[in-house]
Amino acid sequence: MFRKAAAALAVGVTIVALTGCSTGTDSGGSDAGSGEAGGLITVIVNDLANPYWTAEADTAAAEAESLGYESKIGSHNGDSKKESDLVDTAITNKSVAVILDPADANGSIGAVKKLVAADIPVFLVNAEINEEGLAQSQLVANNAQGAALGAAAWVEAVGPAGEYVELTGRPADNNAATRSNGFASVISQYPDLKLVGSEVANWDQKEGNEKMQSLLAAHPNIVGVIAGNDPMALGAIAALKAAGKLDQIKVGGFDGAPDAAQAITDGSLQYTVLQPVVDFTKSAVQQADSYIRTGETGVDEEKQSFDCILINKDNVASYGNFSIE
Amino acid sequence: MSTTQPAAPGLLNRMFPNGFDPLAILLQGRAFFALIVIVIVFSLLSPNYFNVSNLLQMSQHVAVYAILAIGMLLVILNGGIDLSVGATLGLSGVVAGWLMQGVKIPELGVAFYPSVWVVVILALATGAFVGLINGILISKFRVAPFVATLGMLYVVRGVALLITNGLTYPNLSGDPEFGNEGFDWLGFNNLFGVPIGVIIMIVIAIGASLLLNKAPFGRWLYASGGNERAAELSGIPVKRVKVRVYVLSGICASIAGVIIASELTSANPTSGQNFELTAIAAVVIGGASLAGGRGTVRGTLLGAFVIGFLSDGLVIVGVSEYWQMIFNGAVIVLAVLLNAITYKPKQRLATPSAPATPPTSDRAPDTGVGAAAGKIAG
Repeated sequence: MFRKAAAALAVGVTIVALTGCSTGTDSGGSDAGSGEAGGLITVIVNDLANPYWTAEADTAAAEAESLGYESKIGSHNGDSKKESDLVDTAITNKSVAVILDPADANGSIGAVKKLVAADIPVFLVNAEINEEGLAQSQLVANNAQGAALGAAAWVEAVGPAGEYVELTGRPADNNAATRSNGFASVISQYPDLKLVGSEVANWDQKEGNEKMQSLLAAHPNIVGVIAGNDPMALGAIAALKAAGKLDQIKVGGFDGAPDAAQAITDGSLQYTVLQPVVDFTKSAVQQADSYIRTGETGVDEEKQSFDCILINKDNVASYGNFSIE
Repeated sequence: MSTTQPAAPGLLNRMFPNGFDPLAILLQGRAFFALIVIVIVFSLLSPNYFNVSNLLQMSQHVAVYAILAIGMLLVILNGGIDLSVGATLGLSGVVAGWLMQGVKIPELGVAFYPSVWVVVILALATGAFVGLINGILISKFRVAPFVATLGMLYVVRGVALLITNGLTYPNLSGDPEFGNEGFDWLGFNNLFGVPIGVIIMIVIAIGASLLLNKAPFGRWLYASGGNERAAELSGIPVKRVKVRVYVLSGICASIAGVIIASELTSANPTSGQNFELTAIAAVVIGGASLAGGRGTVRGTLLGAFVIGFLSDGLVIVGVSEYWQMIFNGAVIVLAVLLNAITYKPKQRLATPSAPATPPTSDRAPDTGVGAAAGKIAG
């Protein structure tokens, strides 16, 4: 009897205390153009175990802090539910802006809408969503141009004839299809180069390794592997080394990660395509700052694309963390 | 009912008839006290934590895991485990998404656009069907629950990915032309300011509690979990109970899947990955025994809230994601340790007075004396 009364009393006291406390959070953002820098910028990226996204997060945080803001970093690992929860937290924390790398071109639209409804300006980096008019800016690398650049370098390394395989990224990410189509548009001009296998490795090094082993078992006479990003390429290289076939089979990557640059230097990777992630992330934070202070991002279009740079044996010496002199 | 009370008679004696043992009280209500401690600590660390809006929002995050955990509780009470709930969650969302896109039959030249309630019922039926397969594998074919549900996890996840070919179904809000609007009502709306997901969680919790405490099925469940052989011999339809329990778990998973698809208005085939582990953690933190026969809905809810409020609190404060994983793991291990202490027979902690029943079996070390009566009271 006492226990029930005590429990009821505890619940009652809690409810009274809660209603007494502040109800509701203000909408997180300052009005556009309120004139002052300062406040929290929340940075949400994909997977911090991937050096590309670590560079993205660190660049954004550093740039935000140098402009006078605080920053918090979160990662959603490609899961739209986790992304939605992190966005909720960004709103709760009264962020003045959010820099977001969306998990899913369709599935992330809901999360962006939540931020728009809370009056918090959103700046998308690295990947886009399939709806305009929600985010203030969408800054992406020009994946189509980068893919064409990479494929041309790949053909040069591999030669005009032979069988090859491809490792593609997570299908829900638009970049996976863009790069794959870009590769195909160049390679299809060489009718003697035949694609004999293509596997989804979800941007992941371990998966790239496993899929490469299977592809190699099925097609032992390939001359090249073209991968949608560097971790998958490095995974493939490990598999080829283990099979002793790294000399005959040429591998290409995409991203411009430091370990890819290392692999180019020691000859196991032929090239990679540098996405100017440091540049466009800095630019995103600067546009956020400009929007907060003046109400304008300073750039006319919402979708902005940044050209990629090819990195191979010739210029790898001047490579620094995701940037090149 | 008297105990030796030397110096403090009267009030204390009436409040705590079994003797005032602060350690025992702390242990019994450990999930509740843990929740209070978490709320206090994070309120001190961040001004954004303790207000109605954030608490409701964290509850909305918790709701999905809590619904999964209640289904998992039923299975664990039966002495089994269901590793496929995360995959079932994903498949139900995908089935809902597939139906919302319209079922097209090119040969007949028609496309069916089922209305939203039909979509929801079919999505729940998917979960029930997966649960049925689990139940039959485990009861009729005697496959170990861990193995059967692990296999189903891969099968179900593969089916979901096959249906969508790895992509997500966008745009589940529906189209007025086709009469199938309203799917996002679940995810986006509030009733009296409380998110619908939370209300569904409360309804399911009440339903499960009634099922366990008032219905014969509940008694059968606790009995067959505590000692299956004895239950069978006393006439309880143990196999039927098993099948039903997995079906219920599947339905809970599909409810959670529909809620998530509704919140995101998109159906992702990889949704729900590793959610089963969180559900199991919530059940364990709430005091249930993995060997079966012991656990309550209230404890499971508290366990889900402990995990959810802790995780969200760490994100609000801005702790690195890797520290979050360490904290969550530590909490789970601590919870299991405390469970082991509570259930050790030699340490007779204060349980409501009940005639001591003889030890039910030798198989599990944490099946203690006098446990059944105390825990069934919930």
